Amino acid sequence: MSLKALQEIGVRVILAVAAVLLAGCATPPPDDDPEAKAEFEQINDPLEPANRAIFEFNDTLDTYFLRPVAQGYRSVVPKFGRDRIADFLDNLQTPLYFANDLMQGNVSLAGVTVERFMLNTTFGVAGIMDVATPLGIPGHKSDLGQTFAVWGIGEGPYLVLPLMGPSNPRDAVGLGVEAVVDPLDYYLANNRMNWVLWTRFGISGISQREAYLDALDDIKRTSLDYYSAMRSLYRQRRSAQINEAENPGTTTVPTPDIHIDIPKIK
Amino acid sequence: MIRRTFLHAFALCLLVAMAVPGSARAATADQAQSFIQALAHNAISTVANKQLSDVQRNDNFRRLFVSAFDIPGIGRFVLSRYWRTATPDQQKEFLKLFEDINVLTWAQRFKDYNGETLQTLGATKDGDRGWIVDSRIMRKQGPPIPVQWRLRQDDDGNLRIIDIIVEGVSMAITYRSDYASAIQSNGGRVDSLLAAMRRKIDQLKAAG
Repeated sequence: MSLKALQEIGVRVILAVAAVLLAGCATPPPDDDPEAKAEFEQINDPLEPANRAIFEFNDTLDTYFLRPVAQGYRSVVPKFGRDRIADFLDNLQTPLYFANDLMQGNVSLAGVTVERFMLNTTFGVAGIMDVATPLGIPGHKSDLGQTFAVWGIGEGPYLVLPLMGPSNPRDAVGLGVEAVVDPLDYYLANNRMNWVLWTRFGISGISQREAYLDALDDIKRTSLDYYSAMRSLYRQRRSAQINEAENPGTTTVPTPDIHIDIPKIK
Repeated sequence: MIRRTFLHAFALCLLVAMAVPGSARAATADQAQSFIQALAHNAISTVANKQLSDVQRNDNFRRLFVSAFDIPGIGRFVLSRYWRTATPDQQKEFLKLFEDINVLTWAQRFKDYNGETLQTLGATKDGDRGWIVDSRIMRKQGPPIPVQWRLRQDDDGNLRIIDIIVEGVSMAITYRSDYASAIQSNGGRVDSLLAAMRRKIDQLKAAG
């Protein structure tokens, strides 16, 4: 390919990106419509047009690739095997859970994480069997986005990431940093075992997609606007997870504060 | 004279009692809990009853759903500001379609029923006439799923569900966000929302 052709492709890509960015901002409603303005702020999605474009891309990729792969995984690997794989992958996440538990100030939860790791890695045969849960020590996940939230860092505007899906700047940074500092990944990358790293990434993607098969099918089937249903679900779930990190040990989920005044029938 | 005063006082009490219906029979925490337990029991026995035809099962399901949920209340919350701009005919049709979508959605969800049970844990007061019932869905495998039921007592003293919160995610809020976008992407017209709902019902029926 000639240099000129490459240059032309480069210019086209830059123009396309610029077009997406320019078209990417939603127009806020006018000041004279306070209800519409309040709604716009509550939805917290000023980049909606760009987010929708990425969501569309992800959905296409999901429909033709990820979902069929996850379905294949479900039909080929029996439930018992899938649970072993999920348990194994979850156990590998322990260093990250532990670090985040500590950074969130949840020392006793960090202790639980260590206890689970020791039980599952030994009696659970390298983590393929979560033996701690039946013993009354259920697991929990904690991530860096959650830690940032506990530290008081705001979520920023809603963001749809290519491939990774619903997020926001805070959680996206958390995701990126975790990928870089994960001690296991670090070890693998430094010992020329990148293939193990990518295999882990791939299998955990398939395993997680399989876990969400029914839930995502249900949301897609029953919602009028899949995009905004997902946005609402992600943001609600995320604030519940942050609440769990801030108030460890509470068994009940705090109820979202729905303002009670339902408009009356005319 | 004394008797007359007494009568007046009695009449006044009666008037107050009539003006504040339900207040004399405020539901207790136990009633709120057993309301949810009974609903779960009835839903599961409807699903598990193999003698019923699909049509009968769906009919039973609809009756159960309509009697347990405050569909007009949830519907008004979901439409919120668009409820006021809608004409009475649009409001009426919206509630009918909203009921259909919910019945079809839940009937479909219960098709995947796999022996799960509901365990209620307690009820806490939510405002003057409301309760939140804490519960969890116990599965054969996997950890229990926390579910909260937000109940409201209507003017006749009946308890009705106005929201279900699963793992911190509110059904009513999700519906409102979804439906508000569906209206906005169609220029804020309630009629196009109704058309989208009709299409959704056809899809759900075809898939079910």
